[in-house]
Amino acid sequence: MLLAIDTSAGTSVAVVDLARGVLAERGVADTMRHAEVVGRLIQECLTEAQVPVAALSGVVGGMGPGPFTGLRVGIAAARVFALGIDRPLVPVVSHDAIAYGHYRTGHTGPLLVVTDARRREVYWSAYSGADAQHLPARIGPPALAKPAELLEADFVHAALPRLDAATISAGDLGMVAELTFAAGLPFASDEALYLRSPDVTVSTTGPKRVS
Amino acid sequence: MTWQLRRAKPADVDAIMLLETSIFENDAWSTEMMARDVADPGCYYLVAFPPDSPEHIVAYAGLQAAPRSPESDIQTIAVAEEARGHGLGRVLMQSLITEARKRGAREAFLEVRADNPGAQHLYRSLGFEDLGVRRGYYQPDNVDAIVMRLPIPPAEMHFTDAAAPAAAPATAPGVPPAAASSDPAASSDPAASAPARPINRSNPLVLGIETSCDETGIGIVRGTTLLSNTIASSMDEHARYGGVVPEVAARAHLEEMVPAIQAAVAEAGIRLDEIDAIAVTSGPGLAGALMVGVGAAKSLAVALDVPIYAVNHLVGHVGADLLRGDGVTTDAPLEYPTIALLVSGGHTSLLLVRDLVSDVELLGETIDDAAGEAFDKVARLLGLPYPGGPQIDRVAATGDPTAIRFPRGLSHQKDVAKHRYDFSFSGLKTSVARWVEQKRDAGETVPLNDVAASFREAVVDVLLTKAVAACTDLGVPRLLLGGGVIANARLRQVAIERTDAAGIALRIPPLSLCTDNGAMIAALGAQLIMAGHEPSTLDFGADSTLPVSLIQA
Repeated sequence: MLLAIDTSAGTSVAVVDLARGVLAERGVADTMRHAEVVGRLIQECLTEAQVPVAALSGVVGGMGPGPFTGLRVGIAAARVFALGIDRPLVPVVSHDAIAYGHYRTGHTGPLLVVTDARRREVYWSAYSGADAQHLPARIGPPALAKPAELLEADFVHAALPRLDAATISAGDLGMVAELTFAAGLPFASDEALYLRSPDVTVSTTGPKRVS
Repeated sequence: MTWQLRRAKPADVDAIMLLETSIFENDAWSTEMMARDVADPGCYYLVAFPPDSPEHIVAYAGLQAAPRSPESDIQTIAVAEEARGHGLGRVLMQSLITEARKRGAREAFLEVRADNPGAQHLYRSLGFEDLGVRRGYYQPDNVDAIVMRLPIPPAEMHFTDAAAPAAAPATAPGVPPAAASSDPAASSDPAASAPARPINRSNPLVLGIETSCDETGIGIVRGTTLLSNTIASSMDEHARYGGVVPEVAARAHLEEMVPAIQAAVAEAGIRLDEIDAIAVTSGPGLAGALMVGVGAAKSLAVALDVPIYAVNHLVGHVGADLLRGDGVTTDAPLEYPTIALLVSGGHTSLLLVRDLVSDVELLGETIDDAAGEAFDKVARLLGLPYPGGPQIDRVAATGDPTAIRFPRGLSHQKDVAKHRYDFSFSGLKTSVARWVEQKRDAGETVPLNDVAASFREAVVDVLLTKAVAACTDLGVPRLLLGGGVIANARLRQVAIERTDAAGIALRIPPLSLCTDNGAMIAALGAQLIMAGHEPSTLDFGADSTLPVSLIQA
């Protein structure tokens, strides 16, 4: 059983099990309240799933891509929860959860997942298809782009059916982790997928004159 | 004992070599080898130092781990005699292993002298296994080396056998999930039926999390006893920008959070599951930075099933004064009421503290820049590096504080009516800039030492004038200092002179507790618990402008 936390869009928390599926899932779509709601959502999911923390075998963290301020809250929560119960953090690319959800509900074949990156940019990931359990096969990285770039003919995944998503389901995220582990496939690396450098500029001209 | 760790820099090589040559008498590295490793980006060297003297290196350790290489090597580790027996070696090793994992290494190797069973024991307890022996590896002593290896599996391979997802039992139809589990622990209902254990109100073990600015602070206290004050600072990353960059600080908090908690728990000699409560800074501070701490703290509280106390950062600075432990010389209790002057890179506030856990009033605060910010900005316009406080102090040492009469903000009669206890440093900074520009425009040399000394004097003068006035006006003969700018030697000196003259008792917590830290947050949390306050709910947010009168959110 896994606890799954994702704050790459809104806040979503779930408890999942490979055999029994999603045991509990709670979400708040608001993209400005991650730190406020994440603790309550974790507590409610554990209570509803009737799962003592000792029964969890790991904590799934949605690593993004996502706008940084919110994304960090979920990753911090997932890493620290894993530390608190002495279980591993299981990093999963958040887009994989979107793709899994789409395949699970009937989509087949290639897919381009697109999410809002704010500042008039988007994040995208490309998938070739999914296996029998709907576990998606990612063929293009999570990357950052101007919306127009995805429409250009020379964009390598231009022909793929496109799915624009505004929410990420932690239930799907957790199931991706369960299926990935069951299939013996590698997990994502434990690093936040900001895909953007911090907004800083190094002044080369020195301080401004005041007189 | 409390130490802090930081990444070694080339300037540390001399101090490292002093230790190296005294500890490894016959087989010390050369200075060139050490300097090369410390500067090598493929290596990661840490030094440990007492919080109050960052140049006094008591231990060091080095890792070689090229990015994306599956193998890493513990190159060296040494702890000075004076610092042994407190788990510092273990903390250093854990930090190196964490870094190796972060860099993608899957194994760590080391060699240890066959005649050093203490070190071998430490490595084995960290999970290292014996791999083989190299005969006569250590020359000229002709001592064998035991080669050891630590597997560093990717986190996802740690699934415990019994509960591994692949092995999860299928559920019989109609059977409630909990009852179908083969795990006896799973059959009890965790949150609903198990009553929360009563809070230990007499001497609570509290873990405090502080992320309001650029220090990831994890503190552990038991009542008023300090057990760990672990601080990971991202200050070096901000230096090139001349000030704290909020996004850089917030990213650093995320990366440092787990290693800092691990280091604090190791130093305190406790287990996480012994903790009675979590305390966390909910404000004021940088919003994005605060959110990392708030998210982490709530998650830890739920994971450990313990109460959480969301506390005010500024009141935490006052709470630091209650802690007792290594480096704290006074045993006199904090008396109420007291005036508190908090001066840092983000705050300049004057408080009236009638009771730490129930009655704190804001008398005044800066209406523009914080004092520490003014130090940074003036240092920058004088061409000195960040952070500015120590630089201004250094240059001012040979300067004349009366050479230039810079303005004291909000001290004129017309301002005092409305801003008696408020501060302003923006005009002072502009005044310094204008003075320097005029000299430069006239082709004159700018006497940096006089400018620095006169600027510093203006800041210190106005801070202490207003603080002492508050004590006198309100009939409160006690002044407590807090905040990172308290590290400024001139500020402390003038504080002692002025309070002595006015018959005011002055309290200055140890510097390691004056800068932002998690121990003060834990201390305030412990005080709230011992005073019988109920925990915060899980619904508080990060509040970048939390007023000081809200002690607990």
